[in-house]
Amino acid sequence: MMKKILAVLLGTGFMTASLYGCHNSTAVGTAPKGQASDKKIIRVSESFALQTLDPHLDYQGWYTSIYGVTETLFHMNDQSTVTPLLAESASANGAVWSIRLNEKAFFSNGDPVTPDMVIRNLKEAGEINFRFSNFTKYTYAVVDKYTFTIDTGTIYPMLINDLASPELAIADLDHSGDKKTGLVATGPFVISSFEPGGTIEVARNEQYWNGKAKLDGAVFYYMPEAGTSFLAIQNGEIDTYTSVTSDAAEQYRKEPETYTLTTIPATRLQFYILNENRMNASLRKATNLTIDSKAIGAYLNGTVSETVGPFGPSASYGKVTKAKPDVKAAKALLEGDGYTINSDGYYEKDGKVLSIHLAYYAARSLDTLAALMQEQLKEVGIHVVLTCEEDPDGTYIATGDFDIGLFCMISDKAGDPYYFINCTLADGAPYNCGGFKNDQVQLMIKELETETDTNKRAQLANQVIQTAIDEDAFGYVALFNKITVTRNGVKGVAENNPFDFYFLSADTDMD
Amino acid sequence: MKRYVSGRLLQLIPVLFGVTFLTFALLSLAPGDPVQKKLSAQGIAVTKDVLLETRKEMGLDRPWTLRYASWLFDLLHGDLGDSYKDGTPVAGRLVKAMKYTGILAISAFLLALVISLPLGIYGGIKKAGFLDRMIQLFCLAGYAVPGFLLAVLLIYLFCIRLKVFPIIAKGTVQGLFLPTLTLALPLASRLTRQVRASVLNQMEMEYVDGAKARGVLKPYILIFHILRNAMISILTVFGLSIGTLLGGSVVIENIFMWPGMGKMVMDSITARDYPVVQGFVLVMAVIYVIINLIVDISYHLLDPRLEEI
Repeated sequence: MMKKILAVLLGTGFMTASLYGCHNSTAVGTAPKGQASDKKIIRVSESFALQTLDPHLDYQGWYTSIYGVTETLFHMNDQSTVTPLLAESASANGAVWSIRLNEKAFFSNGDPVTPDMVIRNLKEAGEINFRFSNFTKYTYAVVDKYTFTIDTGTIYPMLINDLASPELAIADLDHSGDKKTGLVATGPFVISSFEPGGTIEVARNEQYWNGKAKLDGAVFYYMPEAGTSFLAIQNGEIDTYTSVTSDAAEQYRKEPETYTLTTIPATRLQFYILNENRMNASLRKATNLTIDSKAIGAYLNGTVSETVGPFGPSASYGKVTKAKPDVKAAKALLEGDGYTINSDGYYEKDGKVLSIHLAYYAARSLDTLAALMQEQLKEVGIHVVLTCEEDPDGTYIATGDFDIGLFCMISDKAGDPYYFINCTLADGAPYNCGGFKNDQVQLMIKELETETDTNKRAQLANQVIQTAIDEDAFGYVALFNKITVTRNGVKGVAENNPFDFYFLSADTDMD
Repeated sequence: MKRYVSGRLLQLIPVLFGVTFLTFALLSLAPGDPVQKKLSAQGIAVTKDVLLETRKEMGLDRPWTLRYASWLFDLLHGDLGDSYKDGTPVAGRLVKAMKYTGILAISAFLLALVISLPLGIYGGIKKAGFLDRMIQLFCLAGYAVPGFLLAVLLIYLFCIRLKVFPIIAKGTVQGLFLPTLTLALPLASRLTRQVRASVLNQMEMEYVDGAKARGVLKPYILIFHILRNAMISILTVFGLSIGTLLGGSVVIENIFMWPGMGKMVMDSITARDYPVVQGFVLVMAVIYVIINLIVDISYHLLDPRLEEI
């Protein structure tokens, strides 16, 4: 009796499974619902999802820019240079910037982009996004049909870099409602379907002002797990994604006939702060001579690129040098300081082992970096004690309680060096927490704040960073790579642009 | 009975107060600043002035006890607050996530029942037979294989090799099948063990021998005596299991792109999105209390010999 019952139950289970399997099985690897097969629709996986479409809120403008829906007055090109987009030109007279809009620019509903609408967008972004609250303090004036001015109060040469930030996207505020589910903007694509916290579909903006988009549309699937993206592209269900993991990249490299992998150094920097209040010049120098960025980059298997300074080497403000790793020189420095090697292989002085405290937080591979640095310093004879903090800003960055403090941040947010220099090297800056002090550098930072000539700015930035390197105040280890995989035939997904907030454009295409 | 149920429901009030107070206190005392997390989410540093200004705007410059009182006041007016992260109402987020988690939890639970009840009963009746050993092996494997590995294996088998399911199939019956199976298999292995052990225990009771001696049919003994008595302990495990399932599974939800409670609360903890975490804790506390109440009531219904409640 029981055998019969069990057989019936198992049989029913298998039948149900088979029916599930047979049902609509042609959907595997096919286009999403409503998509005709002759249409060019790219399928993308993203590890984030939006709850609303407001580009001015927090970092949401990054994503609406990625979807090809929003644009800004200026754009960052592949060489990290600001180029006009919705704006045609900009010029500064002291603290007053005059910006002329591109006469051809209009929204997806056909309405023109007017100075008044731009000013309203900038003010709104300043009000709801505290990182741009300075835009509420400026004075704006409409000059004519296409021109307006921004009076920043004091000379502010980085204004156009700020205006390239995707959070300052220009939307048609009169026709976007509360921007929770609808958005009218100027990009080559328009939102066709939006599921808060889930999939987003975009369609070609048939009225795009800057040429016709090559694709008919795109679908952005929310896939927080990298492994799912890896399986989905293999199954032909997506065409491309960024933030490829090192093991997945290795697999794609083995199949060049199917995939194209593009790796470029991006803008996210891994660096360490050497505490001058607790480490003398010799120890700091010895540390910097020991840390081998190249070996660290190799260990992290293509996810990072070793760096000399905080900015990419292609940028005009990324031209700095540092000494190559030299273990012998490091040992000589320590021995010159009176340290001798003990039986455990560690340096000691006056019976006290040379031990340093390295603080880090477990994100952006800093845990791996901490372990690698510990290993490299051990080989020289420096004992390292690791401390992992949950909240670096509330602990070691705030208190300065470390010898070496690891951190990761975007060093180049808009094609200009001032932001990073100002928050890591200026007196009182939040990340100048290792006691770095140099009057000459402070003067240069002051000059950089108001210098309008781009070449002079790059020169000043290089001098400032070079001083920090020479004084062993910091160690710049690696820039995270932007790794994009595309199925062959897909092109133009901003794979060569170091900024994370670009992806779809009118030039994106697929065979 | 009515008095008992209303008494238990009244107990919800101190339970919810205690749970939410403790959660609020722990979140506030834990390291991590929601404002810093919100403004530096993409790794861009912000000035101290911006941090202070934002804290003030979000009301985070007030002591946590005052913030808790304010949260409680809003709660009593039916408002769970807005997410720190994106400003969306917490209630709406919870309802949406609960819908997804509920569907997944119920389907996984039902599938686990379908698997575990026959296997557990069979294992209990045919102890130490070949099939029983296979069932025990299944239980062991269900315990041992981690959820993420099982999920990837199932995707590889059903989506890549057999191509019977697409990986991207959210919102369809097909999309539900693999996450359900991933959640159901480990749960089924736990439940099978429990059912088997309970049936075995009852099989050794004298009343079973007595019934057999009286010539009562075996299926009758099994269904109306053994299972009925075994159900008390089985129900406890079922109750706890459904509670756990309704809390969501971060790993399964991440892998299968299932926007349920587990993923939502994990993201919220990482982002220090306190209002969402508070809302989640509140909902889970209510769910657990209600499930426990249902289980207690069902004890009585199953076994009238239990003390009158």
